[in-house]
Amino acid sequence: MQQMKRLLDVYLALQALFALSWCFSDAEPGPVAGSQSNGDRFKIEGRAIVPGVKTQDWISTARILVEGEEYVGFLKTDGSFAVNDVPSGSYVVEIVSPSFRFDPVRVDITSKGKMRARLVNYIKTSEVIRQSYPLQIRSSGPHTYFMKRETWGWTDFLMNPMVMMMVLPLLIIVLLPKVVNTNDPEMRKEMEQSMNMLNPNPELPDVSEFMTKLFSKGSSKSSGGNKGSRSVAPKRR
Amino acid sequence: MAWLVVRLAISVSLLYTASAVFEDQVGKFDWRQQFIGKVRFALFDTHSQASKKLLVATDKNVFASLNSRTGDLFWRHVDNTGPEGHIDALLMYGQDAVVVVGNGRLLRSWETTVGGLKWETVLDTGSFQAAALVGVQDHVKYVAVLKKSAISLHDLSSGSQIWVENLPDSDSVQYQTIYSGGDGLVFVFGVVPNSHIVIVEYKIEDGEIMNKKSVEAAWMSSLESSCTVISSGILLCVDQITQSLYTLLLQSAEQTEMRQIHLQTLDLEVASGFQPVLTSAQPNPAQPPLSEFFLQLSPDHHILLQLKDGLIVPLRDFNPSYLAAFATSGERTVAAVMSPKNDTACSINLFSADTGRRHLDTTIIYHMDPNGGKPNRLYVHAFLKKDDSVGYRVMVQTEDLTLTFLQQPGRVVWMREEALADVVTMEMVDLPFTGTQAELEGEFGKKAAIQDGLLPMVLKRLSSQFILLQAWLAHLWKLFYDARKPRSSVKNEVSIDTLSRDEFNLQKMMVMVTASGKLFGIDSKSGTILWKQYLENIQPNSVFKLIVQRTTAHFPHPPQCTLLIKNKDTGIGNLYVFNPIFGKKSQISVPALPRPVLQTLLLPVIDQDYAKVLLLIDDQYKVTAFPSTKNVLQQLQDTASSIFFYLVDTSQGKLSGFRLRKDLSTELIWEVVIPTEVQKIVAVKGKRANEHVHSQGRVMGDRSVLYKYLNPNLLAVITESTDTHQERSFVGIFLIDGVTGRIVHEAVQRKARGPVHFVHSENWVVYVYWNSKFRRNEFSVLELFEGAELYNSTVFSSLDRPHPPQVLQQSYIFPAPISTLEATLTEKGITSRHLLVGLPSGNILSLPKMFLDPRRPEVVSEQSREENLIPYAPEMPIREEWFINYNQTVSRVRGIHTAPSGLESTCLVVAYGLDIYQTRVFPSKQFDVLKDDYDYVLISSVLFGLFFATMISKRLAEVKLLNRAWR
Repeated sequence: MQQMKRLLDVYLALQALFALSWCFSDAEPGPVAGSQSNGDRFKIEGRAIVPGVKTQDWISTARILVEGEEYVGFLKTDGSFAVNDVPSGSYVVEIVSPSFRFDPVRVDITSKGKMRARLVNYIKTSEVIRQSYPLQIRSSGPHTYFMKRETWGWTDFLMNPMVMMMVLPLLIIVLLPKVVNTNDPEMRKEMEQSMNMLNPNPELPDVSEFMTKLFSKGSSKSSGGNKGSRSVAPKRR
Repeated sequence: MAWLVVRLAISVSLLYTASAVFEDQVGKFDWRQQFIGKVRFALFDTHSQASKKLLVATDKNVFASLNSRTGDLFWRHVDNTGPEGHIDALLMYGQDAVVVVGNGRLLRSWETTVGGLKWETVLDTGSFQAAALVGVQDHVKYVAVLKKSAISLHDLSSGSQIWVENLPDSDSVQYQTIYSGGDGLVFVFGVVPNSHIVIVEYKIEDGEIMNKKSVEAAWMSSLESSCTVISSGILLCVDQITQSLYTLLLQSAEQTEMRQIHLQTLDLEVASGFQPVLTSAQPNPAQPPLSEFFLQLSPDHHILLQLKDGLIVPLRDFNPSYLAAFATSGERTVAAVMSPKNDTACSINLFSADTGRRHLDTTIIYHMDPNGGKPNRLYVHAFLKKDDSVGYRVMVQTEDLTLTFLQQPGRVVWMREEALADVVTMEMVDLPFTGTQAELEGEFGKKAAIQDGLLPMVLKRLSSQFILLQAWLAHLWKLFYDARKPRSSVKNEVSIDTLSRDEFNLQKMMVMVTASGKLFGIDSKSGTILWKQYLENIQPNSVFKLIVQRTTAHFPHPPQCTLLIKNKDTGIGNLYVFNPIFGKKSQISVPALPRPVLQTLLLPVIDQDYAKVLLLIDDQYKVTAFPSTKNVLQQLQDTASSIFFYLVDTSQGKLSGFRLRKDLSTELIWEVVIPTEVQKIVAVKGKRANEHVHSQGRVMGDRSVLYKYLNPNLLAVITESTDTHQERSFVGIFLIDGVTGRIVHEAVQRKARGPVHFVHSENWVVYVYWNSKFRRNEFSVLELFEGAELYNSTVFSSLDRPHPPQVLQQSYIFPAPISTLEATLTEKGITSRHLLVGLPSGNILSLPKMFLDPRRPEVVSEQSREENLIPYAPEMPIREEWFINYNQTVSRVRGIHTAPSGLESTCLVVAYGLDIYQTRVFPSKQFDVLKDDYDYVLISSVLFGLFFATMISKRLAEVKLLNRAWR
């Protein structure tokens, strides 16, 4: 709720700003639909376009909904439409079709019958980005109702980072010794040098060395233990 | 940047919660049936012989084109509900259908092949009376519309108005019908009741009044069904009181009085109390009508008469006959008459209209459904056969809104159950076990088994296993047998006898109650109607409540459903008890309910026959129990002190709580008054009784637990302000404990108005309202928590909860209008919940409840991320992947019913409105069964690959060892 309130405050401020910048006599806050009694009824006109598709293939399943199902219109055979008997106010006009997607448009009708169309913005409700009127609503393509199944392919498998991490070191281990001749003394020298380059401070004890020492100690201990047990075992016998 | 984070978080969260349809799942477990409603006008396209179109306009404000060979829809246009979309008249000429809509407000012409609008014209205000096609010189060019005070003529091809004229003396004369015979004139008939008839003649070209006359007719009260025009301009009227026919020549100047013909002279008599009906035929609007006509003398008596040289001659008497209709094909007009044959069948015969002679071999036998209603409308499609004889098909509409399309000699071509266009309430009932399943269950269920001892139990087990094996073999045999047959002949026919519960209880019986009083039992898997039952004498304004008293779990007791039918005005109700699987009426005696029923209550108490007890509370707060055996009454006495119920009185804004006393009387415990001057109660909802909540609390980011406030007695009360001004209107919500009457929480949404849709479940309430200031729909969610500690973790008692719950609330913008709202429901409540939102576009949106969480943080923190909370965003996303019914839109969705299945992941969903759509949803994906796209090939190839690899490497190792040994 808190967030809502804060947002509302921001929008109120924005609204004031927009009212200044637009000289159009705004219908906002328009009269509540239906409560008007002066009987002036207007017509919302426009045209729906689905690029590349013949109108007769989709118009029979499409409808024009004004503010939900408050007013309903139908499409003509050429794709144009008119919703009659709409009182003044501000409405969201939407073309609903099970096959094609259309973006909704907000249409404002003043009490004198002046009309304008603008983008629907539910957050900044008073923002005006003009659209053409009579409406020209172009479909943005067919609906994408379905999720894509994840398919399994060799490339997916090989490009998997885990697989890459496993395969690349393997390649290095197997191939490097064959490429580089380790018996060549010159080469060995070079390698030693490069190893020294990697080790910037020769005084610092090498980690690997340290580890091997540590483990060798442990192993000697454990081997000792083993010996002990072995020596004990015959006694029991 | 913040937005980006939000977007990212949303998209990440979607990965886990998406419940979308995959393209290969289409039609796998979902189906849709489309309906149109009660047919008011039906016209066959006689434009060409091969045409299959049947145009219908219905009381649901639907205008549709049906395929007359299959009964499927070519297209359908759903107009506004209510009087604005009401279809007043349907006229058809050639490819065009002209429709008058909204009490004569709009005139529309439809291109019937495509289903698109040709033109639409707004007419002047005024209540609609009649419309007719007007022809000049054998060509139909215009359409005339008669209003209460004006007549207008419109061009048929463009819709433009040719002229409009005010009717003379329209305040005293009631103009009702219109007639044109193709001679350049339009006649308008009006009546001054019990005084005289007014006939006005208009010239088609310019609307000039050519002639106006009034004729004495003191007996006449209404023109509509008692008058018609026959032959070349003769007005024919019938009157029941004087038992006479009256004729009037329209175009003669000298006749100033109607000629009276006593029915007695024709040896006819109108049944007492019956308003006789005249039916004439005008095959071509540009030509005068036929001189033959039907006169209906009583509900089952028609007579075909002919006007010849000013004399009326009876051609054929049809006694008894239910229905009669004219039909035209080419130049020939025939009459079809339906007459009773025996108790269960009717025969329809064809007669030539001009002679009344019967056409040979034209009988269609119509079998009446014993569980249905009587036929009440007959639509005839006549066509010329190759040998130039007249063939015909008929469509019969019955009282229970069944449309049956028949052809000779009585084959039912298709059938539509239009009662299903208006489903009021429904339930999903589990199917019974098969014999073998029941046998297995019985082994563990019977108490006797324990006493039997070890050996008989082993034997019983072996025998039941044997039965299972037998059943499995039979199933295999059937599969094999079906596989040999050609594909087309194998149909998955579902019949009542083969119905049985499936492994995961996914298939259920949908019991649907329709407004017309017809009950249906529908198989949820295929959508096949398995049984139907028409309840006669249902008042049109009845309220229905369907209660499942006994499920199928109590074999051998049959399942039992009870339907409470209540008259909305008087409140008097009666009960109808039936078996939901077979649709048969139960023989159980039903208590009489002499007083209005205020409230019903289904108790968890069961009688010795495992039926749950239903309590009915009447307006004197007396309680009737059903069933009311001694056992039940005893149990009720024992538990009376813990049975509470509430009543809602919206007219006085009063909510009151009662407690049951031992003698089945009640005492008032609490009362909450919400003043009606300020706000009115719109809806009250408790929680669903079959709802389970799995987790008692929520684990927070810091590993503490926030316990939910799970009060099963909580009521959500929605109120709306009486002041509808947009600045002052508000929507209120009260959460009231139904036992104690304590107001747990109260919230007000200012500058908001209804309609409010809401869902009350678990520890949350989600409601949607219209924000009238910003003109948008907003969701608001209330969630109740006990806090970090539970007061009493074992049992919840409304009487002992000292701490008020913590209430969290958040609101969101919903960028679309809403028709209905429901939440998914699963067996154990482990699966995450989704909200199912029915949109006016016909889509059903499955919105994860995750988005409606009042703990969504404004600023993302480590803890909130750990809790998987989505950062707050004011606008709710709508994604097309969330539409569970893809392009199978449900028109005017009015309700969504959700039911759990045997699988925890799966929830069964039925959306009903004008259409019915059934599907399954998986809110947390299918976690308990293998998915549809489970890659059997991959897993088996990996398995086999590994297997062979081990085999080969073993062999190689052996060889190597051997080689080493030789070295």
